[in-house]
Amino acid sequence: MYKYVLRRLLLAVPVLLLSSLIVFGLMRVMPGDALTALMAESGNVGEKELAKLRRDLQLDRPYVEQYALWLWQMVSFRPGDSIFTGEPIATSLKKSIPVTLELATLALILGLVIAVPIGILSATRQNTPADYAGRVVAVSGLSLPDFWLGTLVITFAAIWFRWIPSIGYVSFWESPTRNLQQFLLPAAVLGFRLSAATMRMTRSTVLEVLREDYVRTARAKGLEGRIVVYKHALKNALIPVVTIVGGQLGTLLAGTVIVETIFALPGMGRLTVEAILFRDYPVVQTNVMLVAGALVSLNLMVDLMYAWLDPRIRYH
Amino acid sequence: MAIARTSTFAGEPVAEGQGWLGELVTALRRNPLGVASAGIIVLLALTATFADVVAPYDPLAPQPEIRLSAPSRAHPFGTDDIGRDVLSRVIYGSRISLWVGLLAVGIGTIVGMLIGLVSGYWEGRLDMMLQRVMDAVQAIPGLLLALAIVSVLRPSTTNAMIAIAIVIIPGNSRIVRGAVLSAKQNRYVEAAQAMGCRHLRIIVRHILPNVTAPILIIASIWFGNAILIEASLSFLGVGTQPPEPSWGLMLSTTGRAFFEQAPWLAVFPGLAISLAVLGFNLFGDTLRDAWDPKLRRSG
Repeated sequence: MYKYVLRRLLLAVPVLLLSSLIVFGLMRVMPGDALTALMAESGNVGEKELAKLRRDLQLDRPYVEQYALWLWQMVSFRPGDSIFTGEPIATSLKKSIPVTLELATLALILGLVIAVPIGILSATRQNTPADYAGRVVAVSGLSLPDFWLGTLVITFAAIWFRWIPSIGYVSFWESPTRNLQQFLLPAAVLGFRLSAATMRMTRSTVLEVLREDYVRTARAKGLEGRIVVYKHALKNALIPVVTIVGGQLGTLLAGTVIVETIFALPGMGRLTVEAILFRDYPVVQTNVMLVAGALVSLNLMVDLMYAWLDPRIRYH
Repeated sequence: MAIARTSTFAGEPVAEGQGWLGELVTALRRNPLGVASAGIIVLLALTATFADVVAPYDPLAPQPEIRLSAPSRAHPFGTDDIGRDVLSRVIYGSRISLWVGLLAVGIGTIVGMLIGLVSGYWEGRLDMMLQRVMDAVQAIPGLLLALAIVSVLRPSTTNAMIAIAIVIIPGNSRIVRGAVLSAKQNRYVEAAQAMGCRHLRIIVRHILPNVTAPILIIASIWFGNAILIEASLSFLGVGTQPPEPSWGLMLSTTGRAFFEQAPWLAVFPGLAISLAVLGFNLFGDTLRDAWDPKLRRSG
């Protein structure tokens, strides 16, 4: 097991290094680099100021040196400053990461709360109206764009309940009720989208497991249907569901980008979109790399969870 | 009448007389949702092709005197903030969505397939290198990668399409690689290698036919996703630029700005996106049911 974890960690290093090269390369291809955009923004900036800015941002150094410097900054948790706001990136990340984490966690919980029971219901009542209804919910979750759902939720919440997303962010520790008021709707929108694939997977694996011999044995010895499902079938059925949830972490993180933008939540997603729009490349490359790193480690954790869920799985 | 399947071996060619199309028709007959999804796709394709005939008004022509008017007989989907007919804009929007979907999925599929073929057929060090690069691209969430690429290339429909194609490549390459690895286990591939057939011939004649079904299934599902990503990029302002009528852009510009006075501006473009994505998702499911015997039972 330790060997497996170590090998996976070692394999993650070249992948992340390659990702960082891709991100760094992308940012350097920008036609008319960030400084030109900055110049357009602030009006007249002379050649001298421009040269000084280049020097300050170390854009005059060779690419290899810039890359090495950036890597060092990332590893030592000092990712430099934003070009636009001048704020240290670490400071803005400290503010925005908790927002995204809260949104993502709530969405994941809500998604599972929607998906797993409906998936089980769909499977245990296969080909009944309840099953059809569950499947329609699942397919619509896959097809309704989160930005549309978000827009509609805001539109109709405003028309019917006079509810408008508040501008200032309130942390959970300041006021839990106001914080949840801010987060519940966006998390539900995101969670609904996540629930679709999980629901489909739960349904099909529960169906499959219910046909297994040991489930038939459990039934034959006279166990109640509910106990058969919850005690015998569910644990095995949930293993592939963990895979699906793990595979969706990317969708979840990408979803936060959209949902944060719509609901005006000051999270990492919104920070990244704004940085991309303003070509604030230090912020973009740091955020994208952070997300990639988070995704790679989360996937590793998901893989390790299998062993915990299914003792048949052994890692070598 | 459809001919019954006689072959029981997964992955083996089916009974004579029922090729792929036959299997698809059988699956469609069994599954009314499949027929509905095919109907949606045909409808979309026809709308996009004949947009200039179907659309009642010019999608770009403003009529300020009837701005923000509610859905009526003359304007079934209402009008937007400068009096453009929303129905006509939604109809023309299907062109952008389908065009982006077609090219992005086309490029993403072809490049992904080539990488997967090379990777799976030759294996070894090249395979390892290519797959690590694919891992690295996949480590970045699709939408973020697309956003970063589009911002580098400047926002436009074409660049959104290129970005989506790049997002599609790694997943496709992996699926094709897997299919190639399993196709290589077939005796006839071994036989062809033993007979000294050239690589290209083995790939084209013996391996490619095994890879086509998974590619078509995944392409259909990606088509829906590509439409979704294009709409998301346009929604965030880095895809199609105004005044072009892209569904995502319509939602973000007029849909969000006037949502209290004119909710129809948010409803109809979103409905169009959902319908299109739903069509391609369900069609992908139908293809999978028809062509992937392993998944057929679990439904």
